[in-house]
Amino acid sequence: VGSRERGAGMQRDVSSLALAPGVKVKLIGAGFLSAGDLGELRPLELSREAGITQQEALEALEALRAARGEAEPGRGGRLTALELLQRERALGAVVTFCSALDRALGGGLPLGKTTEICGAPGVGKTQLCVQLAVDVQIPPCFGGLGGQAVYVDTEGSFLVQRAVDLAEAAVQHCGAVAGDAEQQEAMKEFTVETILSQLFLFRCHDYVELLAQTYLLPDFLSQHPKVRLVVIDSIAFPFRSNFEDLSLRTRLLNGLAQQLIQLATQHGVAVALTNQMTTKLGKSQSMLVPALGESWGHAATQRLLLHWEGPSRFASLYKSPSQREATVPFQITAQGFRDVPPADLQLPSADPSAAPSGDPPTSRKRPRADEGEL
Amino acid sequence: MDWDQLELNPRVITAVKRGDCRRFFLVNSSSTVQPLFDISEPEVRQELRDCSVLGARAALVSAALQLLRGECPSLEPSHRLSLGCPVLDSLLRGGVPLTGITEIAGESGAGKTQLCMQLCLSVQYPREHGGLGSGAVYICTESAFPSKRLQQLISLQARLRPELPPNLVTSIQFSNNIYIEHAADLEALQVCVSRRVPIMLLRGMVRLVVVDSVAALFRCEFEAKEARERARHLLAFAQSLHRLSQSFSTPVICVNQVTDVVGDSDSARCNFGLVDRRVLPALGITWANQVLVRLMMSPLSGWDAVRAEGSSLVSRRLEVVFAPHLPQAYCICSVGKEGVRGIAVPTQ
Repeated sequence: VGSRERGAGMQRDVSSLALAPGVKVKLIGAGFLSAGDLGELRPLELSREAGITQQEALEALEALRAARGEAEPGRGGRLTALELLQRERALGAVVTFCSALDRALGGGLPLGKTTEICGAPGVGKTQLCVQLAVDVQIPPCFGGLGGQAVYVDTEGSFLVQRAVDLAEAAVQHCGAVAGDAEQQEAMKEFTVETILSQLFLFRCHDYVELLAQTYLLPDFLSQHPKVRLVVIDSIAFPFRSNFEDLSLRTRLLNGLAQQLIQLATQHGVAVALTNQMTTKLGKSQSMLVPALGESWGHAATQRLLLHWEGPSRFASLYKSPSQREATVPFQITAQGFRDVPPADLQLPSADPSAAPSGDPPTSRKRPRADEGEL
Repeated sequence: MDWDQLELNPRVITAVKRGDCRRFFLVNSSSTVQPLFDISEPEVRQELRDCSVLGARAALVSAALQLLRGECPSLEPSHRLSLGCPVLDSLLRGGVPLTGITEIAGESGAGKTQLCMQLCLSVQYPREHGGLGSGAVYICTESAFPSKRLQQLISLQARLRPELPPNLVTSIQFSNNIYIEHAADLEALQVCVSRRVPIMLLRGMVRLVVVDSVAALFRCEFEAKEARERARHLLAFAQSLHRLSQSFSTPVICVNQVTDVVGDSDSARCNFGLVDRRVLPALGITWANQVLVRLMMSPLSGWDAVRAEGSSLVSRRLEVVFAPHLPQAYCICSVGKEGVRGIAVPTQ
């Protein structure tokens, strides 16, 4: 949808832009007839090409941008709630391969929204991210999105060996269920090689690189319109060390969150951010809470907390505008992020104080895994 | 970085040459930048873009497929540092990753130092034999370096690595390539990792950094009430290790102590899915967040102890607590005169 609307904006006549007549004449004289001709020019280039001052070139590009914004409803335009609902449904979601978690999330990780995944080290944050980056590529005839993935690795924890494991398992799974001719045909394209070639990896070593990368992501997504998932693993790592100025950190994080929400809505991608856990020192007892402070808690649309209960892993959905809070079990197998087979299922203890560790930060929220089944 | 190549307003170029502008533009809001340089809002945006392009150049983009084919050696070297024993290597799917912090935790006498010394020898073999063809720097913070034991390990290398050509083993001057550093306090440790170790790495003298142990200094220099201060120092220290590891694609091995598990209901402790343990790795979650691969060595218990009975060697359990590419698994290993050897990976 986006490309057609953008196309309409591109065809707009330069003469119809809100510009000084003199500038218009010069632009048209230099051969810039439609908005599309101005394209992605920079002010300096345009001023040279059209023989106008840099200031005029800037104004022309600004006017063009404003005109384009009008042509694209949804940016500043009005939408009814029904249209929004339809749009959201049409977007779909990225499945996790853990059906219990998919149900809790309402079908998977939603496109057009940001989801924060918090958890202690080793509980499976990176596993879930890599799993999503593979699953987003499942062909549409298998019920997938047939998309591509952007993976921004700030911790150095993306090991390609593991991505190969998960990709192999996904290919095998789809191959085993492939029935009709269309699915058989799709399997020819759905291989470990293609999965890995459509997983774009960015490595950021510090927060400046991460900020820079985030500024450039919209351009990257415009060039790669098939990208349906953006993973940042993790947001906490670059922002937790060597940060003396906490108010600067809060400001940067808020800006980053805003940019990511824009990215999610404008490009219709699912954004997954991981966050570390930290110890919150209480008066009598300390507990584990997601890092980066209280205000960051508002940053993502949804918050998913992965935690241990004894030897088992659980995922709790905490903050979601559309889904109810839920706690579901999952496991990490050699193949990836999966359901716990019913035989091994141990429901989380009902009494939160008896839970040994990795307990959700707010004890009033009790696990509700079983309620959905009624 | 040459600012003159950028399409920036000349005023801005002069201004940015005074400082690190990349950081400046990315970190400050446009309303701060605007009056400072006396430029218009769209100009600020354009400059922000240019700075981002520069800033992100370091953040390479590649498809994961290129990684797999080894086309981007700087991103993830697929090579691993061998532990000097095929069973232990298979537990770690090839060995220790070249970037990131690998932790070995365990009680005193569990064999952590033995394993570290073995790595210091293994790193000196050429790449085709699982090494990195370079030396190691060993930072001691707890006790003196056990040089006698090292000599013994060196003399018995041929016995530990029978699969290697004997003339290769004898041709390497192992003890000449292990540099011992002693750090008695945190300040000395910070100086060591920020000044001396980078020089050794830069000169290609070493491709392995061992810190034995991180716990000692951080546990003794801070009191319980200084938890926040300790966390800050720990993060700064971990940051320097990360930087070293990344810039030189050099594995960093950190030895950690363990802490007793008191009671079950400590909600501030993460048990990593390990239940019924007497001990867990020390230094809390602040440190755990910085670790890529966490290993634990412990004495055998229960059924494993029964199975290992009859063997005259000291038997230990080497366990993967977490790692992004490994399942939680363990293998039994023996600590003998010639070094640490895996016996077998029990089926899970």
